[in-house]
Amino acid sequence: MQSLQLRNDVLIDIATFLVRRWSGTENITVEFSKIKHSETRLKEKRVLLIPNDQYYGNDFQKYRQYRTSIWYEAMRLKHCKKILSNDHAYGFILNTIETRRIELLGIKIWKGMVEELIFNYTNMWLSRNNLSSIFGKARLVEAFYQYFLFGDIKGEMQPSQFNKVVKAVELAKHVLDEAVKKDHNTMWIESKIPEILKILDLDALISIPLSVPLKGPGLAITPNDFTKAMKQVTKSRKDDFSKFDSKNVLEGKTVIDEFKIIKTENKKNEKKGLNTKSIGIQIPDPSNVDETKIYDQDLINNLKAKFKEWKTGWKEYHFFVGDEFDDEAYLEGYERQFISDLKKSIKTHIVILLDHSSSIADQQIDYKKATLALCEVLAFLKIKFSVYAFNTTKRQVMCWLIKPEDLKWNNSCAKRLAQIPANGGTPLAEVYDKMYPILHSSKPDIFLTLTDGEPSDPFAARSMVKSIKSTGIKMVAIGVGRDTPNATIIATNLKYLGFERTLGVSRLKDIPKKVLNVLGGN
Amino acid sequence: MSDQSEQSTEGSRQTTYLDWNNSFDVMDKAFENRLFVLIIGPKGTGKTSLVREYVKQKSKELASINFSLRTRESHLVGTKNLIGGNIGFDEGILVKSMKEGNILYLDEINAAEADVLLRLDEALDDRRQIVLKESNGQIIKAKDSWFVIATINPLTHVGTKELPPQILSRFPVRIRLDYPPEDIEYQIIKKHVKNLNESDVLLGIKLANTLRQASAVEELYYSPSIRETIAFAKLLESGVSASESAKIVFGNVYSQWGNVEFQKVNDIIVSMFGI
Repeated sequence: MQSLQLRNDVLIDIATFLVRRWSGTENITVEFSKIKHSETRLKEKRVLLIPNDQYYGNDFQKYRQYRTSIWYEAMRLKHCKKILSNDHAYGFILNTIETRRIELLGIKIWKGMVEELIFNYTNMWLSRNNLSSIFGKARLVEAFYQYFLFGDIKGEMQPSQFNKVVKAVELAKHVLDEAVKKDHNTMWIESKIPEILKILDLDALISIPLSVPLKGPGLAITPNDFTKAMKQVTKSRKDDFSKFDSKNVLEGKTVIDEFKIIKTENKKNEKKGLNTKSIGIQIPDPSNVDETKIYDQDLINNLKAKFKEWKTGWKEYHFFVGDEFDDEAYLEGYERQFISDLKKSIKTHIVILLDHSSSIADQQIDYKKATLALCEVLAFLKIKFSVYAFNTTKRQVMCWLIKPEDLKWNNSCAKRLAQIPANGGTPLAEVYDKMYPILHSSKPDIFLTLTDGEPSDPFAARSMVKSIKSTGIKMVAIGVGRDTPNATIIATNLKYLGFERTLGVSRLKDIPKKVLNVLGGN
Repeated sequence: MSDQSEQSTEGSRQTTYLDWNNSFDVMDKAFENRLFVLIIGPKGTGKTSLVREYVKQKSKELASINFSLRTRESHLVGTKNLIGGNIGFDEGILVKSMKEGNILYLDEINAAEADVLLRLDEALDDRRQIVLKESNGQIIKAKDSWFVIATINPLTHVGTKELPPQILSRFPVRIRLDYPPEDIEYQIIKKHVKNLNESDVLLGIKLANTLRQASAVEELYYSPSIRETIAFAKLLESGVSASESAKIVFGNVYSQWGNVEFQKVNDIIVSMFGI
């Protein structure tokens, strides 16, 4: 389990937006993963990023490398037809040539990336392994990589071997030029890989060791080293990159402002006071869940259109007041109001608790779709809300924080909702007990529970409902049933637990409307 | 609503409207057959410009009204007045245009309230007449040359409502006007700005389209119009740098939805134009 990773939330939110816009592809999910290299899975429409702390340098330098890596992955999504694994020589060489191709195609439009790319190249060059530390045929592949991308190799190698590398790089550059000029795709480049392998005298399937950035106290890079490396990198790439300011490359002026904003956002989001973890509420680990599965765009748009007037804050009502409209009297200055404007806006603060017990397991996708649509609309209407869910994990009742009150609803929240499995019973009393300190301190206007069954211990639940009510919070429950009679029974039973308002719902899609009506009527 | 053609190139009376999807042809056919036209499209795609340009070409008079929640029946039909102790009647735009037989332009008709639409419906049906209950039941018959063009924004726009089917059916010719392809948008801008920096303007259009796509899937709250790409080109022409122009025209508007929203768009701008 992790502590609040709000910093990652903001980063993922921005990264998802950037990947989708840079690549022009919708429904891409972006996540941090404990892998060694950032990678894109075309079929799954997923981009996996390495955690920021794996990059070299201070926070700002790490951020710059992270940002460039997102750009590369977005370009891969846009321009690559397939992405092979880097584990074997064949895929490694194809990916190396593709990296240059997508970069050349990308900077035709995203010209502002040039300085960041140079910064990234310099870091890549500094973090590459010395050839003397690589053994066997993999050394040739690494030499090809370095000579092709940076125009030089680190360390030494036999002249006969080096000649092979030079020839292979010449061919690769020729292939690259032709691919860019004639708009050939990945498949065409792939058809040329055997020739390159032949020059290098390599088997297509030899394993390539992973090259991870070297880090450690003894490896500090001085600004001088960096400038030297940057000169080295740019020398070989003069034709590819248009004019750039080396001072900007070093200082990162293009991205310093956005980094500052992210830092400010991060501070803003830092939890003040109560720590949820200390009182038994946990945040789900970030995992590789595809939250787009629980997005029902039609439902969300419908609801947004329906409740639009709440957002504008104005709805016009026509009242028939007074006598029949007398135009003559009106003209003589007898004015009686006949149209009134009422401003309708919701200032309610709501806490929502979602039941994820095993009884909803068979319809949990629809349940999640409905609850996600609810959250989207609440966010759209700028209503202050927080969302919790409970289930049983490893025989323990868990209360999960999906969306804290002070964080904007975003992809990470949707991901958390998507990843909680429906499991276990309905121990309402226990969950209320865990949430009590938070409810007591944040004092929401409404505490809404969505549940589909009887609580495990009705007596304890009733007493918890009573004590929460005594703090001035309005307790509302929505019973989710399989059909109307079932929903009515659940709602009636919930009423006996002491809830101030109970509603029944049998069509899951009606959940958001019901909740919004509760808010509207408050 | 002002649109692209409004900004004419200084000193010339040349038309600045580019009929890129042959709307004029369709409107001509509709005009010949007296079939009312409905133009559908998001804001800033040149709907009003199209109508104005068409009316200019036809050398007709244009009576136009822009609908909003505040538009009342009386704006359309007219009101009684009291002059020198006598009760008279001030004709509204609908009655006037029916009498004069000119082209009536109903802008953003789906922003109108139901009661307003009801009166419109009466005038738009086959009889082409309206009974003025406001003026002793007088019947106004439209001249033969009377023609109506209306525009609507997609339902996702704030303040718009679904048009009732009976009103929709009064406009059997429907023209869809979306954002034009990049090369066409460039040609449109060319009609408004003399000295174009081609590469920067093309990038600006690309940026606008990127933001439009994001807005279409509701990742952003606002989508820039053609008006904005023209403004971008004008700023470039007057010597403002590409990145600065992009921030002024496209970027800053998003700061009203918070830092993160602004930052997302700014990231895109910086990666395109640098600083």
